[in-house]
Amino acid sequence: MRTDAVPVRPLPLTSEQAEAMLQRHVKKHHIAIILLHWFNALVWGSELLTGLALISSPLFRVAPSWYISLVEGIFGSRANVLQIHVALGLSWIGVYLVYGIFGFRTYLSREVLQHEIALDRDDVRWLIVRTQRILGWTSEPLPPQGIYNAGQKLFAFLVYTMIPVVMASGVVMAFRLFGTQVVGWAVVVHFGAAGLVVSGLMIHVYMGAVFPEEKPAFFSMITGTVNELYAYSHHFKWWTIVKAEEGVWDRQHDDETGHPADIAGPTEPVRPE
Amino acid sequence: MARYAMVTDLTKCVACQACTVACNAEWGVPAGYARTRVRSTPISGTFPHLASGVYVAQCNQCDRPPCVEACPSGATSQGANGIVEVDKSLCIGCGFCLDACPYDARYINPVTKKVDKCDFCLARLERGAEPACVTTCTAHAKYFGDLEDRHSDVFKMVYAMGARRMETSRVRVGPNVYYAGEQARADLVMAAFPPRPPRLLAAGEAWSRVLKPLVLAAVGATFVGQAVAFFNQLRNGEKDFED
Ligand code: SF4
Ligand code: SF4
Repeated sequence: MRTDAVPVRPLPLTSEQAEAMLQRHVKKHHIAIILLHWFNALVWGSELLTGLALISSPLFRVAPSWYISLVEGIFGSRANVLQIHVALGLSWIGVYLVYGIFGFRTYLSREVLQHEIALDRDDVRWLIVRTQRILGWTSEPLPPQGIYNAGQKLFAFLVYTMIPVVMASGVVMAFRLFGTQVVGWAVVVHFGAAGLVVSGLMIHVYMGAVFPEEKPAFFSMITGTVNELYAYSHHFKWWTIVKAEEGVWDRQHDDETGHPADIAGPTEPVRPE
Repeated sequence: MARYAMVTDLTKCVACQACTVACNAEWGVPAGYARTRVRSTPISGTFPHLASGVYVAQCNQCDRPPCVEACPSGATSQGANGIVEVDKSLCIGCGFCLDACPYDARYINPVTKKVDKCDFCLARLERGAEPACVTTCTAHAKYFGDLEDRHSDVFKMVYAMGARRMETSRVRVGPNVYYAGEQARADLVMAAFPPRPPRLLAAGEAWSRVLKPLVLAAVGATFVGQAVAFFNQLRNGEKDFED
């Protein structure tokens, strides 16, 4: 397919086209991102489970006391729970520092962030329709999305802003920096930031692991690829970019072979980095 | 289980500070800080009828300790013997307990940045010794023992001789350090150093009153939303994504 022939809005596909697209895979995530994602998931999971058991005052605690005793029992003592919580948190910060220093231009540049977290008009509409569809109020089609849908963008924004907050307040507590007033507020901020992420995390996990329409997104975090039909129907704007790049690639081949490329295109298209 | 208490006879105390010195040495308390302090009230009355009192203050191992409730990390806890302990490996130095204590009995160690306070010399008790201040008191003004033991000095002083707690009508947390001696002296001390109502730092208030309900509500609402979505999903059956 040629660059100028890439459609601007998703068109209905014939069943053969759909079948062919289902068989083809498009690369979505780099291996570094996949590893970071699961490392992050592991850390958040363990830190939440241990962290919940560290707040014991009836004034502040959110976990029932049986849960707190259970976690203490598993680790031997409360002091161990705290030490593990802090050690894991510090290693997490270490990994992020390495990632931030070496991957800054690739993952944290302005364009990438705009790509990954800035909402456009379609995104806002998508959020409304998506919610209504889940609740079964409408069957209106979802507006076309870029490489990440609006829900993922919102969650990424939440995580990108809260991770530094959680890290900084954690370090303040672990090393009791800047006096009691600051440490006192750090406890509160740490709890609040983690609480915010948890509400987002619940939706994230549900959409990724339970919600049927997004199953390919879940597997893409393991294999790194999604099938082209999913890209076409769920991330149409991203699909057009992929196709456009393929178009450039194809045209060079057109020149060599003299044959126009069909909609199928090559099997391993390059993803814009 | 024992119910430990201490009685200080304010008439006998000569304000020599030997207890403070012994305590500081025993526990390596940094200069400028103290687990127990001796304070004199301002002189009152007109010559020749002057009066002044001495107050020997320390952690009271309260029956209803507000410091335990305020400690988010569980570092401060109360043992079955009534002694309120600080587990240094859990303390994060947030200072919530300092504000909660009506007797200002706690301090933050400037080196470790963790809380420290009197614990009736628990480590000494465990090896059968009395608290350092009791052993050292030059005037024999301090008594230590078990309120459940009818033959102990403290039992007699509290239940027969009317040693009193430093409580006011506003602050009743059940301190276990009692004060014996003339009523007039005790009244002077109470007037000069009354316990203040327990406070919760603004951060603690924000946490317990605003943030905790808010976070629980947000997580709860998300959960309900997902439950609804999940039942819809079950009802409609699993559709593949290419709808
Ligand atoms: S005197 Fe203060 S520190 Fe000691 S138990 Fe009572 S409230 Fe807690
Ligand atoms: S400073 Fe006080 S309230 Fe804070 S963790 Fe330490 S003992 Fe608990």
